[in-house]
Amino acid sequence: MSAQPNPTLSVALEHVEELARGLGESGDALALRERARDLVTPLVLPDRARHLWRYTNPERFVPVADPTVLAPVAIAHEWPREDDLAAAALIAGGALRMVEIDDTARRAGVVIEDLHRAATDGLLGSLVPPEHGFAEAINTAAWHGGVLVRVPAGVELEHPIRVRCVASAEPVSVPRVLVVAGAGSAFELVEGHVGGGVPALVLGVTEIAVGPDARVRYSLVQRWDAGVTGHLTARARLERGAHFQMSLASFGGSLYKADVGAVLAGEGAQAEMFGVSMGGEKQHMDHHTEHLHEARKTHSNLDFKVALTGAARSAYTGMIRIAHDAGGSEAYQVNRNLLLSEDARAESIPELEILTDDVRCSHGATVAPLDEEQVFYLKSRGLPHFQAMRLIVYGFLGQTLQRLPATTRERIEALVASRLHEE
Amino acid sequence: MTDSTNAVFSCADVHIWVGEKEVVKGVDLTVMPGEIHAIMGPNGSGKSTLANGLMGHPLYTVEGRLTLAGEDVSALSADEKARKGMFLAFQYPVAIPGVTVASFLRAAVSARRGAEVPIRDFRKELLARMADLDMDTAFAGRYLNDGFSGGEKKRVEILQMLMLQPRFALLDETDSGLDIDALKVVSKGINAASTPEVGMVLVTHYQRLLNYVRPHVVHVFMDGRIVRSGGPELALELEERGYDWLEPAAAAGGA
Ligand SMILES: Nc1ncnc2c1ncn2[C@@H]1O[C@H](COP(=O)(O)OP(=O)(O)O)[C@@H](O)[C@H]1O
Ligand SMILES: [Mg+2]
Repeated sequence: MSAQPNPTLSVALEHVEELARGLGESGDALALRERARDLVTPLVLPDRARHLWRYTNPERFVPVADPTVLAPVAIAHEWPREDDLAAAALIAGGALRMVEIDDTARRAGVVIEDLHRAATDGLLGSLVPPEHGFAEAINTAAWHGGVLVRVPAGVELEHPIRVRCVASAEPVSVPRVLVVAGAGSAFELVEGHVGGGVPALVLGVTEIAVGPDARVRYSLVQRWDAGVTGHLTARARLERGAHFQMSLASFGGSLYKADVGAVLAGEGAQAEMFGVSMGGEKQHMDHHTEHLHEARKTHSNLDFKVALTGAARSAYTGMIRIAHDAGGSEAYQVNRNLLLSEDARAESIPELEILTDDVRCSHGATVAPLDEEQVFYLKSRGLPHFQAMRLIVYGFLGQTLQRLPATTRERIEALVASRLHEE
Repeated sequence: MTDSTNAVFSCADVHIWVGEKEVVKGVDLTVMPGEIHAIMGPNGSGKSTLANGLMGHPLYTVEGRLTLAGEDVSALSADEKARKGMFLAFQYPVAIPGVTVASFLRAAVSARRGAEVPIRDFRKELLARMADLDMDTAFAGRYLNDGFSGGEKKRVEILQMLMLQPRFALLDETDSGLDIDALKVVSKGINAASTPEVGMVLVTHYQRLLNYVRPHVVHVFMDGRIVRSGGPELALELEERGYDWLEPAAAAGGA
């Protein structure tokens, strides 16, 4: 079955040129935007019979307003930062609002700058090209409010870099993040998505180029307000010997789809991914992960945990692809879903494409209600039902939460607690 | 019948169903302060059902009146009973991955005492009790019962009892699966918990534990009923003669 243009749905991207000019972009940048615009004009939505969109309606991510209309809004946004940071960048109201770099990081040559005017050496759109999908194409045509994070070769940062994207004041937010980790660099980056307020749509794209032997820890933390509909795509490309550890924490919004993953492009590259998601009420969460092993002796390991209350829904599809000439590789994937209420539902679909025999690969998925024996055990020690449940859920999610920076973890633990209180 | 006004625990005419099946068929039990009772009976006779049912396991339907230190607790949930001082050491403790022994126990002890226990005081107390039970301090940081051996689980049950200081403790086969050294350590813990205010019921089907912990009363439990009660000598008699000689009494008990 081939997809047909949907006669009733289209996306207006009328002002691509003015947008690029207004933001002072180069001619190459405009060419990329136009290529992206042409891909979604007319708009052809993905075939829902195909795996990636089986559980979530793509129409929900089509902007009603034209996102290329550049009307950045003045916004006041408080961002109290509690932990020591190497650098911080805030994207809000359609523009990069604030950049801070501490002296050590600055002296080491760390660059945090407005992506519209940054030299990106052709990296922009190379890890997530507009052909990736319609949401990514719309972002590529229309993004405004973007940041380049560049850590030079050999630089190791003691403290994390934080990038915060605020969804507010605009009907459509189209943030873009490009991270370049030089060879042998080592650092942690936390990308946080917050805000909401008006019924907002967010279409975000993040690209992370991890140079040879670099070690990058990356967290994508989504805690939008209720009412937000959002689609975030993040891809890392790992060169030889690179080590990439990703934490995925998905808590907010009403409808969320995340498409995250790593391309293991160089020999010996390693990708670890730890994810937690917790949904409540009528939240709908859809996560897709991809690990593409393109080089020999690459290693990926994924552990994704989902806890649901209320009538929340979760869909997870996890792709592992091992190319013909990626022998000696290993790939592991586990997805566990804990259903805390009778109306919660979860789906879990592993997708393996193994094109060589010389691999070790395993995957596992479980969907299970709260274990009554565990609850009774804790209650028999004096813990009230709610506290017993909370302890079990913290334990279930804990391994991943532990990998997040302390301040982020505390906020997420508070979110988990309030979710459980709704029960 | 013992006068149950001062009992730490008593129950009268308790019946317990698992689904449609009646497993416990009328049990009376009165445990006075300072007393240790042993309930002995063959496998499958309903001992664990009795213990879990009394504690309030959601799988079981319980009928009958339960009192804890003079208070009617028949309608209370497991956590309410636990906070009032009832404790069950499980025959098969479940694992709770991701939750450490220390964090779990601090929450439980705080619930039992009705106030958050300061972390330093708690730590000190926990390490002292673990030392009493010859436990490696590393246990405090391990996930509760996750990957524990049978013997380790039983020790952790006793550790919990010592930390929670119950008024009334039911110990379901805490002696099974223990080697002789572990049995001695566990017995030491049971004896330490058995103060003059505390009542205990040891469910077991071996006499072995009773060499280290002296019961005041021994009950023989068969087919959902207490078919005979006596002093410690009854345990020795069971050890020698098994349960078969009591079968007619079991039948008679139903009359
Ligand atoms: N959860 C349960 N589901 C089904 N049957 C049960 C359950 N618990 C107990 N029973 C039944 O009750 C009877 C007594 O079991 P149990 O209380 O475990 O005995 P004991 O502890 O004396 O060995 C057994 O016949 C068992 O099949
Ligand atoms: Mg039993």
